[in-house]
Amino acid sequence: MISKPEKQLGVVPASRPVMPKLNLSFRLKDKRRRTIYGVIMLLMVTTLATVPTIIPKGVNLVAATQGLIDNIRIMFLHPAVSNTSFGSLVGALVQSIALAFLTTLIGAIFAFFIALMASRNLAPRWLIDIVQSAMAFVRAIPTILWVLIYSVALGLGANAAVIGLTFHSVAYLVKVYADSIDELPKDTLAALRAMGVGFWPLVSQVILPTVMPSFLSWTFIRFEINFANAVAVGAAAGAGGIGYQLFMASGFYFDFHEVGMIVYLILAFTIPLEIISYKLRTRYIKRAGK
Amino acid sequence: MLEINKLSKTYDGGKRSLTDVSLTAKEGEVTAIIGPSGAGKTTLLRSINQLIVDDSGEILFDGQDIRKLNHRQLKKTRSKIGMIFQNYNLIESLTTIENVLHGSLARKSTLAGVLSLYSKDEKQEALQLIDEVGLADFAFKYCSDLSGGQKQRVGIARSLMQHPKMMLCDEPIASLDPRSTTMVMEILRRLADEKHMMILINLHQVDIAKEYADHIIGLNNGRIVFDGATATATDRDIENIYVSDAPVAVG
Repeated sequence: MISKPEKQLGVVPASRPVMPKLNLSFRLKDKRRRTIYGVIMLLMVTTLATVPTIIPKGVNLVAATQGLIDNIRIMFLHPAVSNTSFGSLVGALVQSIALAFLTTLIGAIFAFFIALMASRNLAPRWLIDIVQSAMAFVRAIPTILWVLIYSVALGLGANAAVIGLTFHSVAYLVKVYADSIDELPKDTLAALRAMGVGFWPLVSQVILPTVMPSFLSWTFIRFEINFANAVAVGAAAGAGGIGYQLFMASGFYFDFHEVGMIVYLILAFTIPLEIISYKLRTRYIKRAGK
Repeated sequence: MLEINKLSKTYDGGKRSLTDVSLTAKEGEVTAIIGPSGAGKTTLLRSINQLIVDDSGEILFDGQDIRKLNHRQLKKTRSKIGMIFQNYNLIESLTTIENVLHGSLARKSTLAGVLSLYSKDEKQEALQLIDEVGLADFAFKYCSDLSGGQKQRVGIARSLMQHPKMMLCDEPIASLDPRSTTMVMEILRRLADEKHMMILINLHQVDIAKEYADHIIGLNNGRIVFDGATATATDRDIENIYVSDAPVAVG
């Protein structure tokens, strides 16, 4: 009995198994890869084919590049305010921030309750399907378009901007909130249901504390998106704010000094925002993940 | 007193999980349900509080058939049944005491539950229970910081906060080390002896079942293949439970 393992140790295979010949052409035989490569090739060809059509005839590329560099230099090295006051630009920035904040806040509140109807952990299948498809439809149409659609009813201005931005925010947040709720283990909810706990206490005692970090980070991301949208609708839909000032400075006065100042103002807000959101996320995620 | 009569369950895929399961469990007794993986132990336990809806049969708890209760009555009955799990199912981002206080939610109004408005007495009781399971130093720690054995004891304290008549324990010690296992089993045993509770435990470990249970039920392939007092169960009886085509020996 004891000699048996020793005997086995002594056995050396007569020849090593032959390595199968490495074949790299399998990549091209894979149907999915072929489709992906095919699409990429098609896009490259169409792009190359259209390049000549976007270069207007008679443009001196050297002079144009020189002009571009000059304008960038004016924008970023010589920012100045000439057509309006610095105070009014700051005021316009605050207006845009307020627009982004308000639409995110209202959107988050609505989205939270709708997300409860869109999560596999909480709602019946048919309700989820209805809610998710409606939200997918809203998301499929860009925010700016929603603002323009509402401006037909409400007229161009802040009202249409608030409603349009909120609308798209709700649809976006419902999706990500519902996904976060879906990630909750089914058994954790079952444990509380097994104790006879009702729906609303379940939401506040189990769902909220568990998904809060991810809700917060998604809401912050949406705030950043909404700020960008608020700037854009200020220019495009006459909603006012810094976007309108940017539109006036660039399209109306051709004042690149002022455009530069506005860009710096926007950066002065978005960079700290980015840092705060990063800090907030890591703090919450750390606590929840410990 | 819990009496189950001819309970059956077939899952959507056509897989038969329980076939004509009948059993009785009494207050003050620890009943261990043992059997191989996939025998239907979890399905059986979860049918009792209707986390899994069975197909046919009768589950009499306090003289009422749990299967026939409406939504409201079921919630009320569930509030009297504690349950602990293999993976604890605590809210990890909350503290020990917050988790334990969840046990009182079913008694509270919806608004008080939503806003976490617990009375002083409830908080006192929660602390007392945390102390009883030996976690007094951890009452205000986040559950994510606790070990497996500690989490399971929080789970028990949470169930006790419900003032349950019966405890359903779904593989409570499957993820625990031997020391934690002993601690958890001793607590469960004490609940049966001192608080006269009805304890039902799904177990993998035969030796633990023999050591702590008054009553052993053997489940194999959705059927009861053994049902008897621990004292009268022979090694051969136990071995038979794990043989897939064991003769049905209902005592």
